[in-house]
Amino acid sequence: MIIDHPLLGPRDAAEFVYLGDACLIDRPDPGDENAARLFHDYLHIRDNPAGEHRELWFHEHGDRSWLVVTRNTLTHEIVRVELARDVALARGRDR
Amino acid sequence: MSGPFRLDGGAIERGRTLAFRFDGRRLTGRPGDTLASALLANGVRLVARSFKYHRPRGVFSAGSEEPNALVELRSGAYREPNTRATVAELFDGLEATSQNYLGSLRHDLLAVNDLLAPFLSAGFYYKTFMWPRSFWERVYEPAIRASAGLGRLSGEADPDSYDKGFLHCDLLIVGAGPAGLAAALEAGRSGARVILADEDFLMGGRLNAESHEVNGRPGAAWAADAVRELASVHSVRLMPRTTVIGAYDHGVYGALERRTDHLAAARGKPRQILWRLYTRRAILCAGASERPIAFGGNDRPGIMLAGAVRAYANRFAVGTGRRVGVFTNNDDGWRTAGDLSAKGVPIAAVIDVRDGEPAAAVADARIRMNSRVVTTWGRHGLRGITLATGERIALDCLAVAGGWNPNVHLTCHHGGRPVWRDAIASFVPGDRLPGGMSVAGAADGCLTTAGALADGHRAAVAALGELGLAAAAGEPPVASDEATGAASFWHVRESRGRAWLDLQNDVTVKDVELAHREGFRSVELLKRYTTLGMATDQGRTANVLALAIMAGLTGRTIQETGTTAFRPPYTPVPIAAFAGRSRGKDFRPTRLTPSHDWAEGQGAVFVDAGMWLRAQWFPRSGETHWRQSVDREVTDTRGSVGICDVTTLGKIDIQGRDAAEFLNRIYANGFAKLAVGKVRYGLMLREDGIAYDDGTTARLAEHHFVMTTTTANAVLVFRNMEFARQCLWPGLDVHLISVTEQWAQYAVAGPNSRRLLEKIVDPEHDISNEAFPFMACAEISVCGGTPARLFRISFSGELAYELAVAARYGEALMEVLLAAGEEFDAVAYGTEALGVMRIEKGHAAGNELNGQTTARMLGMQRMVSKRKDCIGNVLSERPEMNRDDGMELMGFKPLGSGDELTAGAHLLALDAPADTVNDEGWISSVAYSPTLETSIGLGFVRQGHARIGETLRAWDALQGSDVRVEIVSPHFHDPDGELLRA
Amino acid sequence: MPDWKLSARAPLDGHERNIGTVAVAEVTDLALVSAAVPRGGDEAFAAALAGGFGATRPVTGDSTLGNRHAARVLGMQPDQVFILFAPPDPDRPAGTVAAALASAAYVTDQSDSWVILRMTGAGVRTALERICPLDLDDRVFPLHRVARTAMEHLSVIVLRDGADSFLLMSPRSSARSFRHAVELSLEHVSE
Repeated sequence: MIIDHPLLGPRDAAEFVYLGDACLIDRPDPGDENAARLFHDYLHIRDNPAGEHRELWFHEHGDRSWLVVTRNTLTHEIVRVELARDVALARGRDR
Repeated sequence: MSGPFRLDGGAIERGRTLAFRFDGRRLTGRPGDTLASALLANGVRLVARSFKYHRPRGVFSAGSEEPNALVELRSGAYREPNTRATVAELFDGLEATSQNYLGSLRHDLLAVNDLLAPFLSAGFYYKTFMWPRSFWERVYEPAIRASAGLGRLSGEADPDSYDKGFLHCDLLIVGAGPAGLAAALEAGRSGARVILADEDFLMGGRLNAESHEVNGRPGAAWAADAVRELASVHSVRLMPRTTVIGAYDHGVYGALERRTDHLAAARGKPRQILWRLYTRRAILCAGASERPIAFGGNDRPGIMLAGAVRAYANRFAVGTGRRVGVFTNNDDGWRTAGDLSAKGVPIAAVIDVRDGEPAAAVADARIRMNSRVVTTWGRHGLRGITLATGERIALDCLAVAGGWNPNVHLTCHHGGRPVWRDAIASFVPGDRLPGGMSVAGAADGCLTTAGALADGHRAAVAALGELGLAAAAGEPPVASDEATGAASFWHVRESRGRAWLDLQNDVTVKDVELAHREGFRSVELLKRYTTLGMATDQGRTANVLALAIMAGLTGRTIQETGTTAFRPPYTPVPIAAFAGRSRGKDFRPTRLTPSHDWAEGQGAVFVDAGMWLRAQWFPRSGETHWRQSVDREVTDTRGSVGICDVTTLGKIDIQGRDAAEFLNRIYANGFAKLAVGKVRYGLMLREDGIAYDDGTTARLAEHHFVMTTTTANAVLVFRNMEFARQCLWPGLDVHLISVTEQWAQYAVAGPNSRRLLEKIVDPEHDISNEAFPFMACAEISVCGGTPARLFRISFSGELAYELAVAARYGEALMEVLLAAGEEFDAVAYGTEALGVMRIEKGHAAGNELNGQTTARMLGMQRMVSKRKDCIGNVLSERPEMNRDDGMELMGFKPLGSGDELTAGAHLLALDAPADTVNDEGWISSVAYSPTLETSIGLGFVRQGHARIGETLRAWDALQGSDVRVEIVSPHFHDPDGELLRA
Repeated sequence: MPDWKLSARAPLDGHERNIGTVAVAEVTDLALVSAAVPRGGDEAFAAALAGGFGATRPVTGDSTLGNRHAARVLGMQPDQVFILFAPPDPDRPAGTVAAALASAAYVTDQSDSWVILRMTGAGVRTALERICPLDLDDRVFPLHRVARTAMEHLSVIVLRDGADSFLLMSPRSSARSFRHAVELSLEHVSE
């Protein structure tokens, strides 16, 4: 597998470590009155799409960037690669 | 001539002779020969016995599709079974042995299986070995295993070395036949980075095997010129002897290059290289493989594929017989007759299943149109054939031409299925190709040389266009051959005797008919029921024939019948090539601590800790048991001072305006208020509330911390912290970098540790108990100005420090510490003593942080701050994890003197049966405590603290131990921590 | 006054060896210090780098040369560079960088974290084909390009500092495994 790193270009997937669904960026608010349920879902409830799937990869043997890779689970085609930090900022995560 | 069957011409070197042995017999061949061509040149026809029935078999093909001619090459530990003689390049001194017989190749005692054939048909195993059940393991399996398998493994470690490698190109061209060469010429001239790989040692593919002309010259000569031109182009890499074995995701291909298989000795170089090819585009020019026709007795040595017979005559200058016949369903067979005639090989007959006029005149040959071969004769080799008319024709070689199957295998590696093309009566690549791949030439069903040349050129121009490269605008080479047509004729129905399909697994037409009768009609079931296509050749000469016959039986089309999936590898790959260098000590890297060489000099015993090698204990003369060394190290450390290399702990430098806040969220306990110059123990939770790592973090400056992690989790903790930094709180100003390797770090522990350190710490740094109390840290210097970091932390429970210097000084520091400690009888201690002391002190470690335990179980519930957000905080509040009757970390002592605890033992009430219902907990870590002079353990038991003094059973069925234990405090040593603060 | 002295030892004791056409030499006279850029501090950092080392800030994957301390700045991560330089005080390279960059970066000494091998000579890329998954072709990996990757399970930073010259940095603790991997590759491709 090849991941086309947004800063570094195509790199072998062997340089990366897989984590899982990119929804892990959306850590719930621990102050929410339903925090326990929200965290339960955050940790354990996953979609299993036949098609495009956004997932987190860490460029461990590279620039140490976390990436959000959009991969088609049917074809393995990778249609988009983004810096996870940019995605997180865009989704309103900050401090 | 190097053999009585040698002809003129060909691509062999006439000036040199190569001596080789086959079954001990001395023979000779020529450079350019394969083992198969050399055997045929010497008139050796019987080369193997078949897998199941031990039928005599000879060379069938001239390529990697060979089902029959499997031999063992070389000897001793170098022995390589199941090697296809048709691709084994001859070298001087080659030793080959036939395989799969009992007695001799000529008189194989297991040929009795052939007489039992009526009982050994498809599904025989499933039907025969069913009853009685008691025979399954005692009788049937040993008997089946004894007769199973083809060649013999040497039983020794493979003495050759293997490499892996990585190559990058714009365009990969798989196969250097007419299409591949035409594509490579065009791409090479355009300046693209091209890899041209071919499994053969001589590039040119069928151009070397046919007598066609290209651009007005003999095809083989044109191919040689093309290869010469390509070799001169800097951006083109020619890879002969290289099989592209698989198409993987995103343009990655696997290829096996055979580097020394054609040499008598590897001389220290890798035998084979498994390449990973990174490509932007690929053109599959893998050619086509000929298929036979099924007829009675079609497996005798001397019955060969017609294209192979041409290859042996034209390329290898070998006549495959003295009287050759041709049995064909298309015009291609007539070429064999023509080429051999031209070489002076007598053609006895041409038998064509089609009605009509002969396709060519063949001198002195009986021409039989609309005719069939129904059976053959000759015990160890073909002596003649019988036609449906009853006519008998004496001949010693029958060239069978059943049409050509495009080698579509790589097009299917991403799940695509080939489609049937009636015009050539063959499967061609389907629409769903691996990304970036195109197909050209015979592999795409373009079965003429002229067409393949043009198609290869076209594919290259198209690929270059997709790559954004300008094509060289060269003209495609031209050849003048014409299509040979194809007939959908698979099987001579009036055959007498068995008509073979899969020669390697001995599957016959009858077996397919049986599978059909018994309902195994889908191709996947047909394959598994009959074992068709499941041998090392993957049924390359058999599958289409069998599918066609099954289609005929079921009344479906071949397209509807479908094919089984093609998966990598295309041809067999030695397991050793997949292993590459990863064998023995090279299986993974070894990490050494700064004091490693010193420890080795002391005779230390080492233990693997992940990739690290750590000193486990340091035996002294007179110590005969490891316990003596470890007990001494513990006793001397607790009695005076000991030194242990703890460099392997993960160390992470953390800086930033928000570093303190970040740590506050990473650790379960608070870090925001940690004072500069102080160290704090920290516990990390997973988001689900389970404890996963612990360590200490020191605040060196307002915005600067250094964290230690466990050795095992160093990489994981760093990764998780980067995740938190980049994905959870990207707005925080915090920066991480590993300094695990930067600092050599030593624990200096024991009542004399301060006195020892005072001898080497530079005098401007006051490390007195008042100035540098428990949990203090400082950046200092030692030994006259060498920068160092000192942390007053203790894993042993003693007055203790950890001292760090730049790794370059690590070895020297160990020596200095011991030299300076001589007056205190300072000792070095290893991981075993470290473990004993931490158990005595009641510190949790990996055995306790095992992915099941919570802060509460570890007795740290008060540390988990309720007032802040941190990873794992919310879910650590789950009720089930906070039950009052939950597990608690406790200490355990055996009641009986001399009893030993075992880690993994389950805790049960004294009178309770040992079952899950009564399980009250487990022992996680054990040690012999020289301090308490008894075996001790840490473990988890329900409501432990309320049950101190209670007696339980520690029951360990795995290690056969069942002892009575007392629940005690987990802090066996200095429970109030007075020593730490002294 | 303590009378103990610590002597330094390089990861491979200054190892040098020629194999075929390629020279392998451990680099022991350079310091390596990481500099992380504070959030929002990019402009200040660029100015400090120019002032302190006379170097421009490289993008991730590239390196630039400075005119002080023979410095080379390696773009390692979006918010982090490594500075490779000849240190005035080998025991305190982080201090040198901190002083040069004032408070425009968070600096961490990495000098002892890595073993540095320089491979020089025709055929160096042929040897690296056996262990390095990166495309080191001139067009893809020209002079000054830098990348971290994995070779034989080891993390390796590859820097091209000449037509046939590469600096390879790998973690210090596995320096001997790394040397073995590099030299075995050279032995396998040498005539």
